[in-house]
Amino acid sequence: MTWENFRFALFEKAPEALLEHTLIVLITIAIAILISVPLGVLLSRPKFKRFGLVTLNLLNVLQAIPGLAIIALALPILGLGMKPAVLALLFQSLLPIVRNTIAGLIEVNPNVKEAARGMGMSQRRILMEVEIPLAMPIILSGIKTATVYVVSMGTLAALIGAGGLGNLIIGGLALFRPEYLLVGAGLGALMAILLERGLTYIEYRITPPGMRF
Amino acid sequence: MIELKQITKQYPGQAMPAVEQLSLSIPEGEICVLVGPSGCGKSTILRMINRMIEPTSGTVSIKGKDASGTDPDQLRMGIGYVIQQIGLLPHRTIAENIAIVPRLYKWPKEKIAQRVDELIVMMGLDLEKTRGKYPSQLSGGQMQRVGVARAMAVDPPIMLMDEPFGAVDPIARTHLQDELLRLQKEIKKTIVFVTHDINEAIKMGDNIAIFEAGKLVQFGTPEEILTNPTNAFVENFIGHDRVVKKLSLYCAAEAMQPVGCLVSETGLPSARQKMMDAETEVAFFLNAEGKPTGYFTLAEFEECEGDLKCLRKKVLRTEGAFVQTTTPLPDALSLLLEFDSDYLGILKGKEICGMLSFKDIRRHVYRKEGE
Repeated sequence: MTWENFRFALFEKAPEALLEHTLIVLITIAIAILISVPLGVLLSRPKFKRFGLVTLNLLNVLQAIPGLAIIALALPILGLGMKPAVLALLFQSLLPIVRNTIAGLIEVNPNVKEAARGMGMSQRRILMEVEIPLAMPIILSGIKTATVYVVSMGTLAALIGAGGLGNLIIGGLALFRPEYLLVGAGLGALMAILLERGLTYIEYRITPPGMRF
Repeated sequence: MIELKQITKQYPGQAMPAVEQLSLSIPEGEICVLVGPSGCGKSTILRMINRMIEPTSGTVSIKGKDASGTDPDQLRMGIGYVIQQIGLLPHRTIAENIAIVPRLYKWPKEKIAQRVDELIVMMGLDLEKTRGKYPSQLSGGQMQRVGVARAMAVDPPIMLMDEPFGAVDPIARTHLQDELLRLQKEIKKTIVFVTHDINEAIKMGDNIAIFEAGKLVQFGTPEEILTNPTNAFVENFIGHDRVVKKLSLYCAAEAMQPVGCLVSETGLPSARQKMMDAETEVAFFLNAEGKPTGYFTLAEFEECEGDLKCLRKKVLRTEGAFVQTTTPLPDALSLLLEFDSDYLGILKGKEICGMLSFKDIRRHVYRKEGE
Protein backbone atom coordinates (compact mmCIF):
# COMPACT_ATOMS: atom_id res chain seq x y z
CA MET A 1 0.00 0.00 0.00
CA THR A 2 1.30 3.37 -0.86
CA TRP A 3 -0.02 6.78 -0.05
CA GLU A 4 0.53 7.77 -3.67
CA ASN A 5 -1.81 5.03 -4.96
CA PHE A 6 -4.32 5.85 -2.32
CA ARG A 7 -4.25 9.54 -3.14
CA PHE A 8 -4.57 8.78 -6.83
CA ALA A 9 -7.56 6.52 -6.28
CA LEU A 10 -9.29 8.96 -3.99
CA PHE A 11 -8.69 12.21 -5.83
CA GLU A 12 -8.22 11.22 -9.46
CA LYS A 13 -10.44 8.19 -9.91
CA ALA A 14 -13.08 8.41 -7.21
CA PRO A 15 -14.87 11.69 -8.14
CA GLU A 16 -15.90 10.43 -11.54
CA ALA A 17 -16.76 6.97 -10.24
CA LEU A 18 -18.78 8.46 -7.44
CA LEU A 19 -20.68 10.66 -9.85
CA GLU A 20 -21.47 7.74 -12.11
CA HIS A 21 -22.49 5.63 -9.18
CA THR A 22 -24.77 8.31 -7.83
CA LEU A 23 -26.31 8.72 -11.25
CA ILE A 24 -26.98 5.00 -11.55
CA VAL A 25 -28.51 4.88 -8.09
CA LEU A 26 -30.68 7.94 -8.62
CA ILE A 27 -31.94 6.83 -12.02
CA THR A 28 -32.69 3.34 -10.77
CA ILE A 29 -34.48 4.51 -7.64
CA ALA A 30 -36.43 7.15 -9.55
CA ILE A 31 -37.67 4.57 -12.05
CA ALA A 32 -38.29 2.07 -9.28
CA ILE A 33 -40.45 4.58 -7.39
CA LEU A 34 -42.34 5.52 -10.53
CA ILE A 35 -43.16 1.87 -11.16
CA SER A 36 -43.52 0.51 -7.64
CA VAL A 37 -45.64 3.12 -5.89
CA PRO A 38 -48.42 3.16 -8.50
CA LEU A 39 -48.21 -0.61 -8.69
CA GLY A 40 -48.50 -0.87 -4.92
CA VAL A 41 -51.42 1.54 -4.91
CA LEU A 42 -53.15 -0.43 -7.63
CA LEU A 43 -52.61 -3.73 -5.82
CA SER A 44 -54.08 -2.34 -2.62
CA ARG A 45 -57.33 -1.30 -4.34
CA PRO A 46 -60.16 -3.77 -3.70
CA LYS A 47 -60.51 -4.44 -7.42
CA PHE A 48 -56.93 -5.66 -7.85
CA LYS A 49 -56.27 -7.01 -4.40
CA ARG A 50 -56.41 -10.60 -5.63
CA PHE A 51 -53.38 -9.96 -7.87
CA GLY A 52 -51.37 -8.72 -4.93
CA LEU A 53 -49.96 -12.03 -3.82
CA VAL A 54 -49.11 -13.14 -7.36
CA THR A 55 -47.29 -9.90 -8.07
CA LEU A 56 -45.37 -10.01 -4.83
CA ASN A 57 -44.30 -13.57 -5.53
CA LEU A 58 -43.21 -12.59 -9.02
CA LEU A 59 -41.15 -9.74 -7.62
CA ASN A 60 -39.73 -12.11 -5.03
CA VAL A 61 -38.55 -14.38 -7.81
CA LEU A 62 -37.08 -11.44 -9.71
CA GLN A 63 -35.21 -10.40 -6.61
CA ALA A 64 -33.94 -13.90 -6.09
CA ILE A 65 -32.18 -13.86 -9.47
CA PRO A 66 -28.63 -12.76 -8.84
CA GLY A 67 -27.89 -9.32 -10.19
CA LEU A 68 -24.97 -10.66 -12.12
CA ALA A 69 -27.23 -13.15 -13.94
CA ILE A 70 -29.63 -10.40 -14.93
CA ILE A 71 -26.78 -8.28 -16.19
CA ALA A 72 -25.53 -11.19 -18.23
CA LEU A 73 -29.01 -11.97 -19.57
CA ALA A 74 -29.71 -8.37 -20.45
CA LEU A 75 -26.41 -7.90 -22.18
CA PRO A 76 -27.36 -9.39 -25.56
CA ILE A 77 -30.51 -7.28 -25.70
CA LEU A 78 -29.52 -3.98 -24.18
CA GLY A 79 -25.82 -4.10 -24.91
CA LEU A 80 -23.13 -2.62 -22.71
CA GLY A 81 -23.36 0.41 -20.51
CA MET A 82 -25.82 1.90 -18.15
CA LYS A 83 -29.07 0.50 -19.56
CA PRO A 84 -28.63 -3.18 -18.63
CA ALA A 85 -27.14 -2.11 -15.31
CA VAL A 86 -30.16 -0.03 -14.43
CA LEU A 87 -32.47 -2.84 -15.51
CA ALA A 88 -30.71 -5.36 -13.31
CA LEU A 89 -30.75 -3.01 -10.35
CA LEU A 90 -34.39 -2.20 -10.99
CA PHE A 91 -35.33 -5.84 -10.54
CA GLN A 92 -33.67 -5.75 -7.18
CA SER A 93 -35.36 -2.60 -6.00
CA LEU A 94 -38.99 -3.07 -7.03
CA LEU A 95 -39.95 -5.58 -4.38
CA PRO A 96 -39.26 -3.65 -1.21
CA ILE A 97 -41.06 -0.57 -2.47
CA VAL A 98 -44.11 -2.39 -3.80
CA ARG A 99 -44.33 -4.51 -0.68
CA ASN A 100 -44.09 -1.54 1.63
CA THR A 101 -46.53 0.51 -0.41
CA ILE A 102 -49.12 -2.23 -0.13
CA ALA A 103 -48.40 -2.78 3.55
CA GLY A 104 -48.52 0.93 4.28
CA LEU A 105 -51.81 1.44 2.50
CA ILE A 106 -53.42 -1.59 4.08
CA GLU A 107 -52.41 -0.44 7.52
CA VAL A 108 -54.17 2.90 7.23
CA ASN A 109 -56.81 2.92 9.94
CA PRO A 110 -60.11 1.89 8.32
CA ASN A 111 -62.00 4.29 10.59
CA VAL A 112 -60.06 7.19 9.16
CA LYS A 113 -60.90 6.08 5.63
CA GLU A 114 -64.52 5.54 6.60
CA ALA A 115 -64.75 9.00 8.13
CA ALA A 116 -63.13 10.54 5.06
CA ARG A 117 -65.58 8.76 2.78
CA GLY A 118 -68.48 9.72 5.01
CA MET A 119 -67.54 13.37 4.69
CA GLY A 120 -67.85 13.14 0.94
CA MET A 121 -64.19 12.89 -0.08
CA SER A 122 -63.84 11.14 -3.43
CA GLN A 123 -61.82 7.91 -3.65
CA ARG A 124 -59.09 9.81 -5.45
CA ARG A 125 -58.96 12.48 -2.78
CA ILE A 126 -58.91 9.88 -0.02
CA LEU A 127 -55.95 8.21 -1.74
CA MET A 128 -53.99 11.42 -2.27
CA GLU A 129 -54.86 13.25 0.94
CA VAL A 130 -55.37 10.46 3.43
CA GLU A 131 -53.98 7.09 2.42
CA ILE A 132 -50.69 8.02 0.80
CA PRO A 133 -49.69 10.59 3.43
CA LEU A 134 -50.49 8.11 6.18
CA ALA A 135 -48.64 5.29 4.40
CA MET A 136 -45.70 7.53 3.53
CA PRO A 137 -43.41 6.55 6.43
CA ILE A 138 -43.73 2.87 5.49
CA ILE A 139 -43.35 3.54 1.77
CA LEU A 140 -40.26 5.60 2.50
CA SER A 141 -38.73 2.84 4.53
CA GLY A 142 -39.20 0.55 1.52
CA ILE A 143 -37.44 3.13 -0.64
CA LYS A 144 -34.68 3.24 1.93
CA THR A 145 -34.18 -0.51 1.78
CA ALA A 146 -34.16 -0.43 -2.01
CA THR A 147 -31.68 2.44 -2.10
CA VAL A 148 -29.21 0.63 0.11
CA TYR A 149 -29.55 -2.48 -2.08
CA VAL A 150 -28.96 -0.50 -5.21
CA VAL A 151 -25.91 1.29 -3.83
CA SER A 152 -24.24 -1.99 -2.99
CA MET A 153 -25.39 -3.94 -6.04
CA GLY A 154 -24.48 -0.96 -8.19
CA THR A 155 -20.82 -1.88 -7.93
CA LEU A 156 -21.57 -4.78 -10.30
CA ALA A 157 -22.51 -2.30 -13.01
CA ALA A 158 -18.82 -1.76 -13.68
CA LEU A 159 -18.67 -5.28 -15.13
CA ILE A 160 -20.62 -4.18 -18.19
CA GLY A 161 -19.00 -0.84 -18.57
CA ALA A 162 -21.51 1.27 -16.71
CA GLY A 163 -18.81 2.68 -14.50
CA GLY A 164 -19.36 3.68 -10.92
CA LEU A 165 -17.54 2.70 -7.76
CA GLY A 166 -17.36 -0.85 -9.08
CA ASN A 167 -14.70 0.37 -11.50
CA LEU A 168 -12.39 1.07 -8.59
CA ILE A 169 -13.08 -2.28 -6.99
CA ILE A 170 -12.69 -4.32 -10.15
CA GLY A 171 -9.68 -2.30 -11.15
CA GLY A 172 -8.16 -2.78 -7.73
CA LEU A 173 -8.66 -6.54 -7.95
CA ALA A 174 -7.16 -6.71 -11.42
CA LEU A 175 -4.16 -4.57 -10.59
CA PHE A 176 -3.61 -5.88 -7.06
CA ARG A 177 -4.05 -2.40 -5.67
CA PRO A 178 -5.74 -2.65 -2.28
CA GLU A 179 -5.89 1.16 -2.11
CA TYR A 180 -8.36 1.17 -5.01
CA LEU A 181 -10.42 -1.54 -3.31
CA LEU A 182 -10.45 0.41 -0.11
CA VAL A 183 -11.53 3.65 -1.71
CA GLY A 184 -14.22 2.02 -3.89
CA ALA A 185 -15.70 -0.15 -1.19
CA GLY A 186 -15.33 2.51 1.48
CA LEU A 187 -17.07 5.16 -0.55
CA GLY A 188 -19.82 2.68 -1.45
CA ALA A 189 -20.40 1.92 2.20
CA LEU A 190 -20.30 5.59 3.09
CA MET A 191 -22.79 6.40 0.36
CA ALA A 192 -25.18 3.70 1.54
CA ILE A 193 -24.99 4.95 5.11
CA LEU A 194 -25.44 8.59 4.15
CA LEU A 195 -28.42 7.88 1.93
CA GLU A 196 -29.98 5.76 4.62
CA ARG A 197 -29.53 8.49 7.19
CA GLY A 198 -30.80 11.13 4.80
CA LEU A 199 -33.94 9.19 4.00
CA THR A 200 -34.51 8.52 7.68
CA TYR A 201 -34.36 12.24 8.27
CA ILE A 202 -36.85 12.89 5.47
CA GLU A 203 -39.08 10.19 6.92
CA TYR A 204 -38.98 11.98 10.25
CA ARG A 205 -39.70 15.33 8.69
CA ILE A 206 -42.72 14.20 6.72
CA THR A 207 -44.24 12.39 9.69
CA PRO A 208 -46.52 14.96 11.30
CA PRO A 209 -45.75 15.74 14.95
CA GLY A 210 -48.92 14.02 16.05
CA MET A 211 -47.76 10.69 14.66
CA ARG A 212 -44.12 10.63 15.73
CA PHE A 213 -43.24 8.16 18.38
CA MET B 1 -87.27 14.87 6.26
CA ILE B 2 -85.65 11.47 5.90
CA GLU B 3 -87.97 8.86 4.55
CA LEU B 4 -87.03 5.18 4.43
CA LYS B 5 -89.39 3.07 2.36
CA GLN B 6 -89.41 -0.71 2.36
CA ILE B 7 -85.67 -0.88 2.86
CA THR B 8 -84.08 -4.29 2.78
CA LYS B 9 -80.38 -4.99 2.96
CA GLN B 10 -79.23 -8.48 2.22
CA TYR B 11 -75.51 -9.14 2.45
CA PRO B 12 -74.30 -11.82 0.08
CA GLY B 13 -73.72 -15.15 1.77
CA GLN B 14 -75.91 -14.42 4.76
CA ALA B 15 -79.15 -16.24 5.38
CA MET B 16 -80.95 -13.41 7.16
CA PRO B 17 -81.18 -9.92 5.76
CA ALA B 18 -79.39 -7.35 7.90
CA VAL B 19 -82.37 -5.02 7.54
CA GLU B 20 -85.78 -6.24 6.47
CA GLN B 21 -88.64 -4.26 4.97
CA LEU B 22 -88.00 -1.19 7.03
CA SER B 23 -90.16 1.86 6.62
CA LEU B 24 -89.37 4.78 8.85
CA SER B 25 -89.92 8.46 8.60
CA ILE B 26 -87.56 10.63 10.54
CA PRO B 27 -89.00 14.03 11.43
CA GLU B 28 -87.16 17.25 10.75
CA GLY B 29 -85.28 19.11 13.44
CA GLU B 30 -85.41 16.31 15.98
CA ILE B 31 -83.11 13.65 17.33
CA CYS B 32 -84.16 10.18 16.27
CA VAL B 33 -82.31 7.43 18.09
CA LEU B 34 -81.87 4.02 16.52
CA VAL B 35 -81.28 1.56 19.32
CA GLY B 36 -80.97 -2.18 19.67
CA PRO B 37 -78.51 -4.92 20.60
CA SER B 38 -75.38 -5.20 18.49
CA GLY B 39 -76.00 -6.78 15.11
CA CYS B 40 -79.58 -5.56 14.90
CA GLY B 41 -78.83 -3.56 11.78
CA LYS B 42 -78.99 -0.07 13.25
CA SER B 43 -75.60 1.03 11.92
CA THR B 44 -76.44 -0.44 8.54
CA ILE B 45 -79.58 1.67 8.43
CA LEU B 46 -77.64 4.78 9.33
CA ARG B 47 -75.07 4.10 6.65
CA MET B 48 -77.75 3.57 4.04
CA ILE B 49 -78.94 7.14 4.58
CA ASN B 50 -75.68 8.61 3.27
CA ARG B 51 -75.15 5.74 0.85
CA MET B 52 -72.07 4.36 2.57
CA ILE B 53 -74.06 1.16 2.05
CA GLU B 54 -76.54 0.71 -0.76
CA PRO B 55 -79.84 -0.95 0.11
CA THR B 56 -80.71 -4.15 -1.73
CA SER B 57 -84.22 -2.84 -2.28
CA GLY B 58 -86.32 0.09 -1.19
CA THR B 59 -85.72 3.81 -1.35
CA VAL B 60 -84.22 6.41 0.92
CA SER B 61 -85.45 9.91 0.26
CA ILE B 62 -84.12 13.04 1.85
CA LYS B 63 -86.35 16.11 1.75
CA GLY B 64 -88.50 14.33 -0.77
CA LYS B 65 -85.58 13.58 -3.10
CA ASP B 66 -84.49 10.05 -3.81
CA ALA B 67 -80.98 9.73 -2.41
CA SER B 68 -79.93 7.23 -5.06
CA GLY B 69 -80.31 9.98 -7.65
CA THR B 70 -77.58 12.10 -6.08
CA ASP B 71 -73.86 11.58 -6.51
CA PRO B 72 -72.78 9.77 -3.33
CA ASP B 73 -69.87 12.13 -2.63
CA GLN B 74 -72.08 15.18 -3.09
CA LEU B 75 -74.74 13.62 -0.90
CA ARG B 76 -72.25 12.90 1.89
CA MET B 77 -70.78 16.39 1.75
CA GLY B 78 -74.20 17.68 2.70
CA ILE B 79 -74.69 15.32 5.63
CA GLY B 80 -72.71 15.54 8.86
CA TYR B 81 -71.23 12.19 9.87
CA VAL B 82 -69.74 11.24 13.22
CA ILE B 83 -68.49 7.75 13.99
CA GLN B 84 -67.55 6.10 17.25
CA GLN B 85 -63.85 5.93 16.50
CA ILE B 86 -64.06 9.55 15.42
CA GLY B 87 -61.77 9.06 12.45
CA LEU B 88 -59.89 12.32 12.70
CA LEU B 89 -57.08 12.44 10.17
CA PRO B 90 -54.01 11.88 12.36
CA HIS B 91 -51.70 13.75 9.98
CA ARG B 92 -53.78 16.90 9.99
CA THR B 93 -54.14 19.48 12.73
CA ILE B 94 -57.46 20.02 14.46
CA ALA B 95 -58.13 23.13 12.37
CA GLU B 96 -57.34 21.23 9.17
CA ASN B 97 -59.58 18.37 10.23
CA ILE B 98 -62.53 20.66 10.82
CA ALA B 99 -61.84 22.38 7.50
CA ILE B 100 -62.14 19.21 5.41
CA VAL B 101 -65.72 19.58 4.23
CA PRO B 102 -65.57 23.38 3.77
CA ARG B 103 -62.52 22.72 1.58
CA LEU B 104 -64.49 20.17 -0.44
CA TYR B 105 -67.03 22.94 -0.97
CA LYS B 106 -64.16 25.22 -2.03
CA TRP B 107 -64.94 27.91 0.49
CA PRO B 108 -62.54 30.87 0.47
CA LYS B 109 -59.71 30.57 2.99
CA GLU B 110 -60.81 33.38 5.30
CA LYS B 111 -64.31 31.98 5.53
CA ILE B 112 -62.93 28.54 6.43
CA ALA B 113 -60.61 29.95 9.09
CA GLN B 114 -63.44 31.94 10.60
CA ARG B 115 -65.79 28.97 10.66
CA VAL B 116 -63.14 26.71 12.18
CA ASP B 117 -62.51 29.17 15.01
CA GLU B 118 -66.22 29.55 15.57
CA LEU B 119 -66.70 25.79 15.86
CA ILE B 120 -63.75 25.25 18.18
CA VAL B 121 -65.18 27.86 20.54
CA MET B 122 -68.70 26.46 20.16
CA MET B 123 -67.43 23.04 21.23
CA GLY B 124 -66.00 24.55 24.38
CA LEU B 125 -62.38 23.94 23.41
CA ASP B 126 -59.54 26.37 23.97
CA LEU B 127 -59.11 28.08 20.60
CA GLU B 128 -55.42 28.96 20.71
CA LYS B 129 -54.36 25.71 22.35
CA THR B 130 -56.42 23.41 20.18
CA ARG B 131 -56.22 24.80 16.67
CA GLY B 132 -52.70 23.74 15.83
CA LYS B 133 -52.66 20.46 17.74
CA TYR B 134 -52.77 17.00 16.24
CA PRO B 135 -55.52 14.55 17.15
CA SER B 136 -53.17 12.31 19.15
CA GLN B 137 -52.44 15.22 21.45
CA LEU B 138 -56.06 15.47 22.59
CA SER B 139 -58.06 13.44 25.10
CA GLY B 140 -60.85 11.13 23.94
CA GLY B 141 -63.54 13.60 24.93
CA GLN B 142 -61.81 16.46 23.16
CA MET B 143 -61.36 14.38 20.01
CA GLN B 144 -65.04 13.53 20.06
CA ARG B 145 -65.89 17.22 20.26
CA VAL B 146 -63.68 17.87 17.27
CA GLY B 147 -65.47 15.03 15.48
CA VAL B 148 -68.81 16.71 16.12
CA ALA B 149 -67.42 20.12 15.14
CA ARG B 150 -66.10 18.65 11.91
CA ALA B 151 -69.49 17.18 11.08
CA MET B 152 -71.13 20.56 11.66
CA ALA B 153 -68.58 22.53 9.66
CA VAL B 154 -70.79 23.45 6.72
CA ASP B 155 -73.90 23.54 8.88
CA PRO B 156 -75.58 20.54 7.23
CA PRO B 157 -79.28 20.14 8.04
CA ILE B 158 -78.80 16.43 8.74
CA MET B 159 -76.28 14.78 11.04
CA LEU B 160 -75.69 11.06 11.31
CA MET B 161 -74.04 9.92 14.51
CA ASP B 162 -72.96 6.31 14.92
CA GLU B 163 -72.39 5.67 18.62
CA PRO B 164 -70.62 9.00 18.80
CA PHE B 165 -69.93 8.83 22.53
CA GLY B 166 -69.31 5.11 22.78
CA ALA B 167 -65.56 5.34 23.15
CA VAL B 168 -65.31 7.96 25.90
CA ASP B 169 -65.44 7.46 29.64
CA PRO B 170 -68.83 7.76 31.39
CA ILE B 171 -68.20 11.20 32.86
CA ALA B 172 -67.10 12.68 29.56
CA ARG B 173 -70.00 10.93 27.88
CA THR B 174 -72.61 12.52 30.15
CA HIS B 175 -70.96 15.84 29.52
CA LEU B 176 -70.95 15.41 25.75
CA GLN B 177 -74.57 14.27 25.78
CA ASP B 178 -75.66 17.32 27.76
CA GLU B 179 -73.75 19.59 25.45
CA LEU B 180 -75.20 18.07 22.34
CA LEU B 181 -78.70 18.47 23.77
CA ARG B 182 -77.98 22.08 24.66
CA LEU B 183 -76.55 22.70 21.20
CA GLN B 184 -79.47 20.98 19.52
CA LYS B 185 -81.85 23.48 21.11
CA GLU B 186 -80.11 26.18 19.09
CA ILE B 187 -79.18 24.39 15.89
CA LYS B 188 -82.27 22.18 15.50
CA LYS B 189 -80.66 19.66 13.19
CA THR B 190 -82.23 16.47 12.06
CA ILE B 191 -80.03 14.02 13.91
CA VAL B 192 -80.04 10.28 13.47
CA PHE B 193 -78.24 8.84 16.45
CA VAL B 194 -77.24 5.20 16.78
CA THR B 195 -76.55 3.66 20.16
CA HIS B 196 -76.89 0.31 21.91
CA ASP B 197 -77.45 1.99 25.26
CA ILE B 198 -81.13 2.37 26.07
CA ASN B 199 -80.39 5.00 28.71
CA GLU B 200 -78.59 7.12 26.16
CA ALA B 201 -81.51 6.61 23.79
CA ILE B 202 -84.01 7.77 26.41
CA LYS B 203 -81.89 10.76 27.25
CA MET B 204 -81.06 11.89 23.73
CA GLY B 205 -84.08 10.91 21.66
CA ASP B 206 -87.09 12.94 20.68
CA ASN B 207 -88.04 9.68 19.05
CA ILE B 208 -86.64 6.22 19.56
CA ALA B 209 -86.70 3.36 17.08
CA ILE B 210 -85.97 -0.02 18.63
CA PHE B 211 -84.63 -2.76 16.39
CA GLU B 212 -84.35 -6.48 16.73
CA ALA B 213 -82.57 -8.59 14.13
CA GLY B 214 -83.06 -6.13 11.29
CA LYS B 215 -86.67 -5.35 12.09
CA LEU B 216 -88.20 -2.27 13.60
CA VAL B 217 -90.11 -3.38 16.68
CA GLN B 218 -91.21 -0.07 18.10
CA PHE B 219 -91.05 3.57 17.16
CA GLY B 220 -92.18 6.35 19.42
CA THR B 221 -91.23 9.00 21.94
CA PRO B 222 -89.27 7.83 24.98
CA GLU B 223 -92.40 8.25 27.04
CA GLU B 224 -94.50 6.11 24.72
CA ILE B 225 -91.90 3.41 24.64
CA LEU B 226 -91.38 3.36 28.39
CA THR B 227 -95.10 3.43 29.03
CA ASN B 228 -96.24 0.90 26.48
CA PRO B 229 -93.51 -1.46 25.36
CA THR B 230 -94.97 -3.36 22.39
CA ASN B 231 -93.59 -6.75 23.24
CA ALA B 232 -91.45 -8.77 25.58
CA PHE B 233 -88.30 -7.94 23.63
CA VAL B 234 -88.73 -4.21 24.09
CA GLU B 235 -89.65 -4.69 27.72
CA ASN B 236 -86.56 -6.77 28.25
CA PHE B 237 -84.38 -4.38 26.36
CA ILE B 238 -85.57 -1.46 28.45
CA GLY B 239 -84.95 -3.44 31.62
CA HIS B 240 -86.92 -4.19 34.75
CA ASP B 241 -86.41 -0.69 36.03
CA ARG B 242 -88.58 0.59 33.21
CA VAL B 243 -90.70 2.77 35.45
CA VAL B 244 -87.71 4.15 37.30
CA LYS B 245 -86.14 5.02 33.94
CA LYS B 246 -89.30 6.85 33.11
CA LEU B 247 -88.68 9.22 35.98
CA SER B 248 -85.81 10.72 34.03
CA LEU B 249 -88.26 12.04 31.47
CA TYR B 250 -89.83 14.38 33.97
CA CYS B 251 -88.62 17.29 36.03
CA ALA B 252 -89.61 18.30 39.52
CA ALA B 253 -91.99 21.02 38.37
CA GLU B 254 -94.18 18.52 36.55
CA ALA B 255 -94.89 16.41 39.60
CA MET B 256 -94.99 19.03 42.33
CA GLN B 257 -98.00 20.17 44.32
CA PRO B 258 -98.64 23.63 45.69
CA VAL B 259 -96.86 24.57 48.91
CA GLY B 260 -99.02 23.67 51.86
CA CYS B 261 -97.98 26.36 54.25
CA LEU B 262 -95.38 29.09 54.50
CA VAL B 263 -94.26 30.30 57.90
CA SER B 264 -92.05 33.25 58.67
CA GLU B 265 -90.20 33.88 61.95
CA THR B 266 -92.81 36.31 63.16
CA GLY B 267 -95.65 34.06 62.14
CA LEU B 268 -94.32 31.14 64.15
CA PRO B 269 -96.80 31.34 67.01
CA SER B 270 -99.72 30.94 64.64
CA ALA B 271 -98.01 28.28 62.55
CA ARG B 272 -99.93 25.40 64.04
CA GLN B 273 -103.27 26.96 63.29
CA LYS B 274 -102.13 27.86 59.80
CA MET B 275 -101.11 24.28 59.07
CA MET B 276 -104.35 22.94 60.42
CA ASP B 277 -106.32 25.38 58.30
CA ALA B 278 -104.40 24.44 55.19
CA GLU B 279 -104.87 20.76 56.03
CA THR B 280 -101.20 20.09 55.56
CA GLU B 281 -98.63 18.51 57.76
CA VAL B 282 -95.66 20.39 56.42
CA ALA B 283 -94.63 24.02 56.53
CA PHE B 284 -91.75 25.78 54.83
CA PHE B 285 -89.85 28.24 56.92
CA LEU B 286 -88.93 31.67 55.58
CA ASN B 287 -86.10 33.65 57.12
CA ALA B 288 -86.13 37.37 57.83
CA GLU B 289 -85.45 38.17 54.17
CA GLY B 290 -88.38 36.03 53.12
CA LYS B 291 -86.15 33.35 51.62
CA PRO B 292 -87.04 29.72 52.24
CA THR B 293 -84.46 28.00 54.42
CA GLY B 294 -86.05 24.68 55.30
CA TYR B 295 -89.20 22.93 56.40
CA PHE B 296 -90.74 21.14 59.37
CA THR B 297 -93.71 18.88 59.90
CA LEU B 298 -96.59 19.41 62.25
CA ALA B 299 -95.38 16.67 64.56
CA GLU B 300 -91.90 18.17 64.76
CA PHE B 301 -93.38 21.58 65.39
CA GLU B 302 -95.36 20.29 68.31
CA GLU B 303 -92.30 18.57 69.73
CA CYS B 304 -90.64 21.96 70.04
CA GLU B 305 -93.79 23.65 71.19
CA GLY B 306 -93.25 26.42 68.72
CA ASP B 307 -89.92 27.51 70.14
CA LEU B 308 -87.80 29.14 67.42
CA LYS B 309 -84.41 28.06 68.79
CA CYS B 310 -85.47 24.47 69.26
CA LEU B 311 -87.00 24.51 65.82
CA ARG B 312 -83.85 25.86 64.23
CA LYS B 313 -81.54 23.48 66.01
CA LYS B 314 -83.42 20.24 66.08
CA VAL B 315 -86.13 19.87 63.56
CA LEU B 316 -85.72 22.35 60.73
CA ARG B 317 -84.57 20.40 57.71
CA THR B 318 -82.29 22.52 55.62
CA GLU B 319 -79.91 20.08 54.01
CA GLY B 320 -81.13 18.70 50.71
CA ALA B 321 -84.46 20.33 51.31
CA PHE B 322 -84.76 22.19 48.03
CA VAL B 323 -84.39 21.49 44.34
CA GLN B 324 -84.99 23.61 41.27
CA THR B 325 -88.04 23.26 39.04
CA THR B 326 -85.87 21.85 36.27
CA THR B 327 -84.25 19.15 38.43
CA PRO B 328 -84.93 15.72 36.93
CA LEU B 329 -87.17 13.55 39.08
CA PRO B 330 -84.51 10.85 39.67
CA ASP B 331 -82.27 13.47 41.30
CA ALA B 332 -85.13 14.69 43.47
CA LEU B 333 -85.96 11.14 44.47
CA SER B 334 -82.34 10.50 45.29
CA LEU B 335 -82.31 13.49 47.65
CA LEU B 336 -85.42 12.26 49.42
CA LEU B 337 -83.75 8.90 49.94
CA GLU B 338 -80.37 10.33 50.88
CA PHE B 339 -81.69 12.58 53.63
CA ASP B 340 -84.46 10.24 54.71
CA SER B 341 -86.98 13.00 54.27
CA ASP B 342 -90.55 13.10 53.06
CA TYR B 343 -90.65 16.46 51.36
CA LEU B 344 -88.68 18.66 49.02
CA GLY B 345 -89.26 22.32 48.37
CA ILE B 346 -89.23 23.29 44.71
CA LEU B 347 -87.53 26.56 43.91
CA LYS B 348 -87.86 28.65 40.85
CA GLY B 349 -84.72 30.73 41.04
CA LYS B 350 -84.86 31.70 44.73
CA GLU B 351 -88.61 31.72 45.18
CA ILE B 352 -90.44 28.69 46.46
CA CYS B 353 -93.15 27.57 44.07
CA GLY B 354 -94.10 24.09 45.11
CA MET B 355 -93.26 20.99 47.02
CA LEU B 356 -92.72 17.36 46.25
CA SER B 357 -93.20 14.19 48.24
CA PHE B 358 -92.82 10.48 47.50
CA LYS B 359 -96.55 10.43 47.04
CA ASP B 360 -96.43 13.10 44.36
CA ILE B 361 -93.76 11.24 42.44
CA ARG B 362 -95.73 8.04 42.69
CA ARG B 363 -98.94 9.71 41.62
CA HIS B 364 -97.25 11.45 38.69
CA VAL B 365 -95.66 8.29 37.36
CA TYR B 366 -98.81 6.27 37.94
CA ARG B 367 -100.91 8.82 36.10
CA LYS B 368 -98.46 8.76 33.20
CA GLU B 369 -98.42 4.99 33.27
CA GLY B 370 -102.19 4.89 32.96
CA GLU B 371 -102.35 7.14 29.93
